[in-house]
Amino acid sequence: MELKIALRNVFRNRRRTAFSLTVIAVGTAVFLFVLAYVGEALLSERLSSACETGAVQVADERLFASQANGYDHLISPELQARVVDLVTKRPGVLGTSLELDFAGLIGDANGSTLVVGRGLTPCDCVPNTTCYAIEGKPISGGDAREAVLGRRLAAKLGVDTGASINIATGTVTGNFSAATVTVVGQVSYSLGTVEEQLGLFPTGFVQHLLKTDGVERILIGLDDLNKAPQFADELRRALAAEGIPLGVRTWQDLSTGYASSQSFYAAFSGLAGISVFALVFFSVVEILTISFLERTREVATTRAFGATRWRVFRGFLLEGAAIGAIGAVIGVVLASVLTLAFNAARITWMPPGSAVPQAIHLSLSLSTALVPLVTVILATVASSVYPAWKNARSSVVKALQAV
Amino acid sequence: MGSDSRFCHVRGRPFLEARDVTKTYQVGAETVYALRDVQFAALQGDFVVINGPSGSGKTTFLNLMSVIDRPTSGDVFIEGQSTSAKSEGQLALLRKTKIGLVFQSFNLIPVLSAAENVEYPLLLQKRPPAERRTRVAAMLSEVGLDALARRRPNELSGGQRQRVAIARALITGPMIVLADEPTANLDSKTGEAVMDLMRRLNEEHCVTFIVVTHDPAVSRYAQRRVRIHDGQLIEEDVGGLASPAS
Repeated sequence: MELKIALRNVFRNRRRTAFSLTVIAVGTAVFLFVLAYVGEALLSERLSSACETGAVQVADERLFASQANGYDHLISPELQARVVDLVTKRPGVLGTSLELDFAGLIGDANGSTLVVGRGLTPCDCVPNTTCYAIEGKPISGGDAREAVLGRRLAAKLGVDTGASINIATGTVTGNFSAATVTVVGQVSYSLGTVEEQLGLFPTGFVQHLLKTDGVERILIGLDDLNKAPQFADELRRALAAEGIPLGVRTWQDLSTGYASSQSFYAAFSGLAGISVFALVFFSVVEILTISFLERTREVATTRAFGATRWRVFRGFLLEGAAIGAIGAVIGVVLASVLTLAFNAARITWMPPGSAVPQAIHLSLSLSTALVPLVTVILATVASSVYPAWKNARSSVVKALQAV
Repeated sequence: MGSDSRFCHVRGRPFLEARDVTKTYQVGAETVYALRDVQFAALQGDFVVINGPSGSGKTTFLNLMSVIDRPTSGDVFIEGQSTSAKSEGQLALLRKTKIGLVFQSFNLIPVLSAAENVEYPLLLQKRPPAERRTRVAAMLSEVGLDALARRRPNELSGGQRQRVAIARALITGPMIVLADEPTANLDSKTGEAVMDLMRRLNEEHCVTFIVVTHDPAVSRYAQRRVRIHDGQLIEEDVGGLASPAS
């Protein structure tokens, strides 16, 4: 019956309740929206990181330690084959990509500029994600003489798809090497400075250019990024057992920016939570104070019948919790509707460090909804503490005389 | 009415007793005596009417007897036990179990129906729902409100509201019901009906009633009549037992 009384009291003054519920619902919806955005941003960053590094990466320890000298860290074809053979047997593996980077010059008769080239073998290594947003033809496997240039690099060089362009670099032994490739597409990248120098090539072609049959890294795609640490541990043991002298890192080990992003978004969410708490608290506290004080004589009556101060106090807190819960549920519904509308609009963005623009798809889960729900309920309960305490402490005799 | 047999009057130890009770209020530098050295005792089944003009200390007396207020000096005894040393919680327990209250303005909880208002004191006693339902139905029937059980107070007339308040006061089976001006907000006919009801319940349940009023018509229902004047109680001779019909 206490809950029944609390709920009926909530709707006693409909205008006041409507105002309170509006503030609570809007606060909840905004907070939930922020959390959904943060969740989406972090997910995008995880996927972008996994695109860059693979869920798990195998390479020479010197490369991981940034102590590689020239190309002495390359993985030989024999080791490549053994690692790929070891990895592909394991469950949850989506595929592998062999990568080899180089720096050189790119240009034609009109001029040249610096290119940071990446040789890669095509792989759908990140679930439900296209790692490179390429306009035109994607990179083929093998050693085809083709290139996908960063959009800004292509613009800087004044070349378009179908154009031929020259690449020049040093080989692994330090000799000069050059080749002509056909531009088959252009790639977007969130960082302009990277897009201005980026060129993607088939790994086989880069090996040919550098006069080597080695690769720098083997990227391994997993169906679940959360399994990466466990997979890496198992792979480390397997490599050691096979006597393969290579190191293993997870995407988290290699994406130092992800931890910073997590901290940033945690602080951002915390700030949003505190703001919503304060908004709800200060909006509702006055309304509840008036609402409670209007019932001074009722409280005195119940106390005259033997209700304890604690019972009265508890009843008011329950009322605060009830209005918070109702407002929060409305807020969750509101946020769900807004989210559906937002997702239907298919707005795209380029997450930080991403190579591909993504459609923002906000998703609300029960666990996400729980945080704003609890926050606003705590805020309304907190805002009811003082007026509840004041009413519960009032003198029964004086309160019975209240009009 | 009009004979001793009409009252449930059990001689013996007083159920409620005030000994040397004084209540003062501080108004600026001046001490105002609301009650001064009051002696009072009510036996089980008494029907006491306390008369007095406005400001004579009637409500103060009732507040002290119902232990919602404490005397400045003196003591109130319930079933022979002093209340002066009892904590707020212990006094709340006494009110919950031994005392029923009826107010001038009914003081019903507006968000609750008639039945729920009557049920509320049982809820405070943590009675099980089935027992609460049974007792509420019986009590509402007794005060003639069973057909209006679901109505909210604002859907009831003044007389009906006061009957709900009386049912609420009696639902826990208290030893004593203290009524503060129960007819003040009612027309004379409704007031009479309410007083008839209280008298009937006094007889049937053997519950002590102490009714504070300034309405002379209510005095006719008194088995004992007490006048309160300048903070002092004066027992009046009712000349046998008064009858509302006389």
